[in-house]
Amino acid sequence: MIAPLVAPLVAVCDRLVRLLAIVGISALLGAVILGVLSRAWNDPLIWTDELSRFLMVWLACLGWILAGRKRIHIRIRFFQNMLPPRLRHGSEIAMQASVLLLGALIFWFSLILIERNADLEATMMPISMAWMFAPMALAGFATALQGLSEVVELLSGARSEDRPVA
Amino acid sequence: MTTLMFEIGGVWLLAVLAGFPLFASIGLAAFAFVALGGVSSAIVPQKMVQAMNSFPIVAAPLFILMGNILAAAKLTDRIVAFASSIVGALRGGYAHASIVTSMIFAGMVGSAVADAAGSGAIEIRSMRQAGYKPETAAAITAAAATIGPIIPPSLPMVIYGVTADVSVGRLFLGGIVPGVLMGLALMAMVMLVAKREGMVGHGFEGFANIARTFKDGFFALMAPVILLGGMFSGYFTPTEAAGVACVYALAMGLFIYRTFDIAKLPEILVETAETTGLVMVLVMTAGALGWCMSISRVPQTITPALVAAIDHPLMFLLVCNLLLLLVGCFMETLAALLILIPILAPAAQSFGVDPVQFGLIMIFNLILGTVHPPIGVVLFVVSRIAGVSFEKMSRAILPWLVPLLIVLAAITVWPPLTTWLPGLLMPR
Repeated sequence: MIAPLVAPLVAVCDRLVRLLAIVGISALLGAVILGVLSRAWNDPLIWTDELSRFLMVWLACLGWILAGRKRIHIRIRFFQNMLPPRLRHGSEIAMQASVLLLGALIFWFSLILIERNADLEATMMPISMAWMFAPMALAGFATALQGLSEVVELLSGARSEDRPVA
Repeated sequence: MTTLMFEIGGVWLLAVLAGFPLFASIGLAAFAFVALGGVSSAIVPQKMVQAMNSFPIVAAPLFILMGNILAAAKLTDRIVAFASSIVGALRGGYAHASIVTSMIFAGMVGSAVADAAGSGAIEIRSMRQAGYKPETAAAITAAAATIGPIIPPSLPMVIYGVTADVSVGRLFLGGIVPGVLMGLALMAMVMLVAKREGMVGHGFEGFANIARTFKDGFFALMAPVILLGGMFSGYFTPTEAAGVACVYALAMGLFIYRTFDIAKLPEILVETAETTGLVMVLVMTAGALGWCMSISRVPQTITPALVAAIDHPLMFLLVCNLLLLLVGCFMETLAALLILIPILAPAAQSFGVDPVQFGLIMIFNLILGTVHPPIGVVLFVVSRIAGVSFEKMSRAILPWLVPLLIVLAAITVWPPLTTWLPGLLMPR
């Protein structure tokens, strides 16, 4: 009943994450090249390494969300595929519940880290260290939501068992 | 705390084999350890971020991006034509050309899957058109793709370097000789079986043809030279080399060969982010679990036990080879690396094994798992490209593992094969 309401929101979020990922990787490449060029021009910029590291954390977390949405996270299904269908279905629910739990834990403790680091400034850039932990909270939240939706789908029978890896 | 870590490790291993998503099982193991060990749980996301907060790791997404750009720019045809003009005249020339293409491609991409996906289709097509059996053509392509992560750049080497605190540049240099040996060993195997299998060549087409194909593919062939030359001449670090190589690949595809469709760039960037996320979430969670292992003194417990049980470095390396070959058959390369580095690398150090040699041995073993059933990712990719069943591929690949295992044995027993070049060009 709520699916038609949620679907457009999910689509918007997906597009936003993809857009952020495009910006993130382009900025990462730009920062690394800027570091090389500025050194070649004998005027090295001191903040490019730090910016690259911030962007790396963001990119890793955005990529983690994208991989989760496509259900391509690495799993060893060799033994699970040998299980009878009912047992496989039950094990899949347990596994997706574990993803939900991990996402929730990461989200919650990342919020704590954001709060603790809000007053700390990065070494070279005039920004708060909280920005380093912000994508973790985002990835944790997205992972928890993804896990929840998988569990709901599996319990409601929308998915009979685990789908093959994309 | 050591006992607790071993207990959690046991449960985690069962969860992994049961099919839990790897990142979730590693992350939850870390949370379980800190919760039961009375440590603040906020340490887990903090260590996850710390694993990414490193400049060398930035090389990983950039090498992935470069591979994706090169694949989209369809430069393989030119490289195959050049390789074919050099070695195509030999008996089994199309197979030789396929191996040489993989060696050149290995200097541009950092993974076996990228090598197979990028150059596999055209290699297999040329071999099949020359009358080679489909499964033989596919097996040669898959075996040659394992050179991808051994000749630099290499994604597993970046991960190993960052995790084990070993110079990525030295690892890259250490991979060149084994990578070339792998190619030569596979070519020797082709020589041995070519007559029996009816593998033909195409006759020598003259030095003018070599010059023409070299001219045609010059800028593509220069990619590894720029990448490695810039890195080892000190102009840029491996991370910066990855960035420069991306720009070079883009410029080549857009302005020189004009084979790259700019409209595809956003999709390529998203695909790069996805692959990065897939790998990096493992690096992040493994970073947290690695910290748990170190404070619970697991390596300090396992290392003396290993040293006491095995009294010779060579025996230790032999045991590691068997263990890693077995693990590689069931576990994805990067995941296995991340899990085993904190346990095996300190032990190797206490046996006096050079970290570059040990890194190469670890990566080599695990890469062999990608062309071996039941989890052989490269086998899956190549069987799909070649239209050959996975079962047929699994049988056809077996003889081609022999030359690769011989090279593995050589780098295990003779360290200079991996340590000579880094010692020469990057002395400590």
